[in-house]
Amino acid sequence: MTVATQRASGGGGNVERSGGGGSSGLADVIELILDKGLVIDVFVRVSLVGIEILTIDARIVVASVDTFLRFAEATNRLDLYGKGKGGAGLPDLVQGMTESGSKGKTTGVLEGAVEKVGDALTSRREDREEAPRRRPRQRVKEQEEE
Amino acid sequence: MSPTYVYGVVAADAVLPEGLRGLGPSGTVSLLADGQIAAVVGDVPVDRPLGTRDDLIAHETVVDAVAGATTILPMRFPAVIEEAGVVDELLGPNEEFFLRALTDLEGRVQYTVKGRYEQDVVLREVLEDDEDLRALQEHVRSLPEDASYYDRVKLGELVVAALEQRREADAAELYDRLEALAVAVVPHQPSQPEDVIDAALLIARTDIEAFGEAIEGLGEAWSGRIRFRLLGPLAPYDFVSSETVETGV
Repeated sequence: MTVATQRASGGGGNVERSGGGGSSGLADVIELILDKGLVIDVFVRVSLVGIEILTIDARIVVASVDTFLRFAEATNRLDLYGKGKGGAGLPDLVQGMTESGSKGKTTGVLEGAVEKVGDALTSRREDREEAPRRRPRQRVKEQEEE
Repeated sequence: MSPTYVYGVVAADAVLPEGLRGLGPSGTVSLLADGQIAAVVGDVPVDRPLGTRDDLIAHETVVDAVAGATTILPMRFPAVIEEAGVVDELLGPNEEFFLRALTDLEGRVQYTVKGRYEQDVVLREVLEDDEDLRALQEHVRSLPEDASYYDRVKLGELVVAALEQRREADAAELYDRLEALAVAVVPHQPSQPEDVIDAALLIARTDIEAFGEAIEGLGEAWSGRIRFRLLGPLAPYDFVSSETVETGV
């Protein structure tokens, strides 16, 4: 029931909207600013400053077998000829709750990984004694199976 | 001489929106102009490495807030140079390149559209369309979890393949619709099997309202099957490229 409420109010329509400013989540931000945009090194050579940069090496790895098992599980949950199909009321309600529970579970994979990105970004603060590197490479790879 | 953070490049007569907060200790964001272009700059924290979650979000927030108001060529995170280098090396020698890019993107802004299947709805379609899958599902269900591992992997693999096939047809239709709305479209490979579409769109500012309504219409038309997310307005991240720069020229 909570899910129904969220959907009805989600962005005031059928499309979820977010502006910039991290409002769309760290994963979206990372996708934009680490992989795209103009690379300063291409324009500037002499006056580059050797600053220390946290190694952002967060990987969203979706191992193929894990993906397959996730979809097998989701598929197995489905009851094609569901007995609660015809009736309104309790059976539908229960089914709805199961579905929303599972939905939370399946999207958890990505969210968990994104959390890890966040951790990776903040957990390296102690590395300060490390000698400043000049323009270290840093990448965030969203690795996925295709 | 102090290190300077560069968020992006704008036209020299651009006006920055109020309330920008940079990632440096002072938080200030200002313009450093040279000729017809200007860099959007700020200070840099010197007592800690860059790259925290807050740094990334600050960079994106500044760039996209400016993009909401005027055309900005966004820098990739992180972009730190000596203050003197902003004019001497970044703006001066590359004025022609930046001007051309700014002119090309004038009056345009990026939106990113992501679409994801309503998982249960589409899985149901997949099963209903494929007798063999249903049989395999029944088989898996009849086995205890320990004994069904390989069959479950097989089932998942076939379901993922079926989703990807379905995506091809749906994405083709969506791209047709989106291309009619945008000045340019850059498709991205979807990252999850249930993702249908992930596309960067360049939209004329004068069309933003109509575009929003069209996307809302798309969401309505596909409601119950595909859920859409719309990000923006954003800087034209997908429509700038350093690769065309001829450095030293």
